[in-house]
Amino acid sequence: MGILIVKNTQVLVQGITGKEGQRAAAAMREYGTEVVGGIRPGKGGTQIDGVPVFNSIKEALEMFPRIGVTAIYVPPLSAKEAILEAIEAGLPQINVIVERVPIQDVAYCLAAARERGVQVIGPSSLGHITPGVGRIGVVGGPTPLVDEIFCSGGVGIISRSGGMTNEIAWQVRKAGLGQSTAVHIGGDVLIGTDYADLLRLFEKDQQTKAVIIFGEHGGSYEFAIVELIENKEFTKPLAIYIGGRFARVLPEGMNIGHAGAIVERGRGAVEKEQALKGVGVMVAMHYEELVDLIKPYA
Amino acid sequence: MNLYEFEGKNLFAKYGITIPKGVCVYRGEDPVQRYRELGLSELVVKAQVLSGKRGKNAGIRFCSSRDEVENSVRALLNMDLQGQYVAAVRLEERMDILEEHYLSIVYDTKIKQPVLIYSREGGVDIEEVGEDKIFKQLLDIRLPIVTCKATQPYSAMDGSLRHFAPCDDILWSTIQNCWNCFLQEDARLVEINPLVKTREGRWIAVDAKVALDDDAGFRHPEWKGYAPRTMLGRRPTDREVNAKKIDEGEAWYRGTAGKYIEMDGDIAVLFSGGGASLANMDALYRAGLRPANYTEYSGNPPREKVYALTKVVLSKPGLKGLWIAGGVANFTNVKETFQGIADALDEVRPKFPIVVRRAGPYEKEGMALMEECMRRNEFEMKLFGKETSMSETAEVLAAIVKQGAN
Repeated sequence: MGILIVKNTQVLVQGITGKEGQRAAAAMREYGTEVVGGIRPGKGGTQIDGVPVFNSIKEALEMFPRIGVTAIYVPPLSAKEAILEAIEAGLPQINVIVERVPIQDVAYCLAAARERGVQVIGPSSLGHITPGVGRIGVVGGPTPLVDEIFCSGGVGIISRSGGMTNEIAWQVRKAGLGQSTAVHIGGDVLIGTDYADLLRLFEKDQQTKAVIIFGEHGGSYEFAIVELIENKEFTKPLAIYIGGRFARVLPEGMNIGHAGAIVERGRGAVEKEQALKGVGVMVAMHYEELVDLIKPYA
Repeated sequence: MNLYEFEGKNLFAKYGITIPKGVCVYRGEDPVQRYRELGLSELVVKAQVLSGKRGKNAGIRFCSSRDEVENSVRALLNMDLQGQYVAAVRLEERMDILEEHYLSIVYDTKIKQPVLIYSREGGVDIEEVGEDKIFKQLLDIRLPIVTCKATQPYSAMDGSLRHFAPCDDILWSTIQNCWNCFLQEDARLVEINPLVKTREGRWIAVDAKVALDDDAGFRHPEWKGYAPRTMLGRRPTDREVNAKKIDEGEAWYRGTAGKYIEMDGDIAVLFSGGGASLANMDALYRAGLRPANYTEYSGNPPREKVYALTKVVLSKPGLKGLWIAGGVANFTNVKETFQGIADALDEVRPKFPIVVRRAGPYEKEGMALMEECMRRNEFEMKLFGKETSMSETAEVLAAIVKQGAN
């Protein structure tokens, strides 16, 4: 079973009339996700590839009261408004696919979401996929590529990088294994859903036997895993790779890779590896090794 | 973007935070003239750098005469301050310090909200001040007025700031001004260390550290006025400046292709995806190679952007190899992005070996056009798809480069 979507989850696409939104809606439907509508103020009543477009989420909910998930594809300057509309409308899960959203807008939306108990994934997330069930966004790419890479199995994947979500899923598949759910959490400084949030969900998910994480230097999200394991809130086998060992040679405060991958003393790849090893997490020295570490348990 | 002290102080002044009287001496300017303009005798002369501990590394000097100022300015401009390039020197009035406090606002990644950090014990040794002497308070980003109730998860930390900080209206207004600056300037960090209380009872921001959020640039046209900068301890190279321009203009948010950091190795790299770029840099070093640059494009950039970026990457002299590597793309069009690379390769026609590893949408077409590009230019090129991992292809390139060197 998926940790973020199940069969029959009804999905909305905000910004469906844009190039990226339209492509994502098609990719989701192609994979069996039930995209029931799109939002574009002023274009209500029209259709995009047969999907009805609404002026507002409120209008969409009048016709489809079961909508549980939205995926947002609007330009960065409209992101805050779009996220707040989804929170106001009471949608339980918001996937912010938009990149380069100002951090102040992200913090504003996350504060509002927390108050309402809404799950925000992203920003700068590509989405997530539960093989054989559905996907949000374009994780896995077009068919038939997505089916070459993803098949239902016991490995959960969490990644700070969209490309590496797919690359690692491929390494898993190449080793003869399958994935339970793969999530791209985004590489920004502030993210709505972090490793610890998802590990709690993977812990409860019977299908997931083990989890792989692609992490990055900078920020503190990896350290929260240590706490989680110490508190026995996550007990399944976990393998992690943390990119950016080389960044030690760079000056503090500089970011490289993603916005959240900031060079900070005490928060580098090596420090994170040490902290995680201390609680029994399997640490890979290069990303290809992740699957070797996890294979005996999956 | 990180600001220099003098730029941060200009912002402070705009928000009513008191700063010491001072002037800047830029490279090529006459320090004596600036000294006369300022008209003070007891001065602090401060190197303007983006990072590093200036105070502990002789980057700040106290001067009492024209000659001392002149000599200090010249010395600081010629100084390498922990690898940082000194962009300018600021001459400032010397304060009669009674107390040094610490004040900053920064995003906390654990609670995902801004947090106010204050200590009575500011100054150069702030990192050694005990946790019990540092007050942290969550700020509600939705409220323009600072409220002084400590909220979760910092509630354990001794209730309210009113018990922690001296009861002083100017300090309170400085905190509010700091918050105004943080919000209105789209800052990621505003730090005053030290926030000085003088013997006359004035509160003055003696230092300023401000980082702006580049993603908010669309609502700050005035940021274009800041000089180009890099934190690598030198001025940005022409290549870095040219690469940055690729992501400006109308299609600024359609994919990213303006990331180029010049490094001192001889292997040019062209990575796709931020995460893959980190893993690949690590793999490159492990294979015994040294990168000539760090470069990454992502988010399905158009052909023209990738072309421009490839031209920048290939323009560095003394290259011994090129590694084009990316994971299995989700939606970046391999054909379109490779077309941009091939366009540049056709023009530059490098003589060094090239190794390519990529997969994803339109991979067949992308690989085919790269192969044609190889044939018509007679490149020494090896192409790999997803059956071979990225790190393995770093080893392949290392073997070819080493063979060529023997």
